[in-house]
Amino acid sequence: MTIRIGSAQGFYGDDVTKALPMIEGGHVDVVCFEALSELTMAILQKDRLANSARGYTWDVRVIAERILPAAFARKIPLITNGGGLNPTAAAELVREIAAKKGLHGIRIAAITGDDLLPRLDELKRAGETFSNLDTGEPLDKAANQAFLTANVYLGAAPIVEALRGGADIIIAGRIADPCLYLGALIAHYDWAWDDWDRLAAGIVCGHLLECTGQVVGGNSLALIDEIDARDLPRLGYPIAEVEPDGSFILTKTPNTPGVVCIETVKEQLLYEVHDPRRYLTPDVTANFTTLRLEPAGDNRVCVSGGTGGPRPDKLKVNLNRFEGYKRELIFTLGYPKAWHKVDQLQRMLEEAWMGLPIERVGYSFLGMDSLFDGLAALPEDPLEVIVRVVFTAADAETLKTAVRRAMANGLACPAGMSVSGQTVGAEPNPVVGLWSALVSRQHIQPQVSIVEG
Amino acid sequence: MTMRRLFDLAYGRAGDKGDISNISVIARSPEAYQEIKAKLTAERVKAHLGGLVRGEVIRYDLDNIEALNFVCHDALDGGGTRSLRIDSLGKSLAGALLYMPWDSQE
Repeated sequence: MTIRIGSAQGFYGDDVTKALPMIEGGHVDVVCFEALSELTMAILQKDRLANSARGYTWDVRVIAERILPAAFARKIPLITNGGGLNPTAAAELVREIAAKKGLHGIRIAAITGDDLLPRLDELKRAGETFSNLDTGEPLDKAANQAFLTANVYLGAAPIVEALRGGADIIIAGRIADPCLYLGALIAHYDWAWDDWDRLAAGIVCGHLLECTGQVVGGNSLALIDEIDARDLPRLGYPIAEVEPDGSFILTKTPNTPGVVCIETVKEQLLYEVHDPRRYLTPDVTANFTTLRLEPAGDNRVCVSGGTGGPRPDKLKVNLNRFEGYKRELIFTLGYPKAWHKVDQLQRMLEEAWMGLPIERVGYSFLGMDSLFDGLAALPEDPLEVIVRVVFTAADAETLKTAVRRAMANGLACPAGMSVSGQTVGAEPNPVVGLWSALVSRQHIQPQVSIVEG
Repeated sequence: MTMRRLFDLAYGRAGDKGDISNISVIARSPEAYQEIKAKLTAERVKAHLGGLVRGEVIRYDLDNIEALNFVCHDALDGGGTRSLRIDSLGKSLAGALLYMPWDSQE
């Protein structure tokens, strides 16, 4: 009765082929691929603006070409939110690839309904203010209205519907990360939508799985001396073996490098968590403070005791807004009198940029204070100082002018200064700001459409 | 003898959501947990992180896994791509906190 869930993606660009040894080795019953972050949606919007048939993560193509044939042959469903801003186009791509591979009778589900950008005016008329969760400012009052994306976090329900409809691969957009995994559990065990403790246990399971490498020894301070760095590119990705009561064993793909232990589970448990008594998801409010972690053998940790309460009344919406451009330049300065030359550089740039509408300028000294902002005293007379200058403006042309003017001082500069050639040739990068808000559930109706290949 | 730092008692990981960074501090032993629970207040964390965290710091305790979770507001220079910092997501912030000198806090 135990269901085994594999996790083979934690961000856009993760190595999704880590699903293959799970599937071919017979270690999983279902595999999830979590592809989206707050920022990913803005990246995908750029793709969709350039081509209306895009807007999904490129990983979907890799999943369809390299994972789907092996999974379909074994009737192992694949679930991803990598459809991003265009799950329908991603599903069509999967259909084409499946046809070429001769996967007859395959059922491909697309889940939509999370994209609120075309509905913002309609929803505002219906009384939704989309007030900023941090500042309280209503959306309409914002001076800058250059919103690029607006996606509501959907829960597990459409995943359950698609699996019950016989889907072999499910392509969704902004489904909340742990709800991909929760959907597989609910479809398998038929948990009730108000069985808060089991739903919370499922969320904990999804939360521990959703960052792949981070629970098997990646990004781990606890294991900093134990992990062999040569294993990092080959880490076996995590698998959970979940029981009907929601307790589960967290482990990893057998016969692969990596470590699953109490420490790696604790590190991942609190990753991107705020109040551990109230971890908000679309389906349940989970409490992490009742959990029990116990060793359960080699690379196996038993997680039990999850409890939860009712789901929040409203759903979270993340909007990404275009807020201008940013550009960086890296200058190198050395002995003698390196700090004096840093002063000279700063004055030189202030003078060169006089009159330009530059909004923000940030200086940091790489290798000295760029990460920890003055946590330790700077050396008095260093042999070298690498200065990173970052500056922003509403338009890209201002930044290009600023770079030209700085470069025009190439020979009229502090003694012995150089500019990193890499940074001189770079283009201004768009600055995207996040605006988080809430929306009433009554307006949100996820759609599941299944096509047969 | 080298100075003891928080890293000698605990490990941890930083995560980002918008302009909020959460930093977990996970004790290496039950004794270490009692020590950090008693002494590692939110005020101390905010004072130690200085200019990195411009807003409020809230501490949550997890006795069940012997860990503290510090939720730091206005900690990522606007967050994500707004930030002018080189580590815009604050991946290194757990290290910043674990750098805290420990024995001087008696």
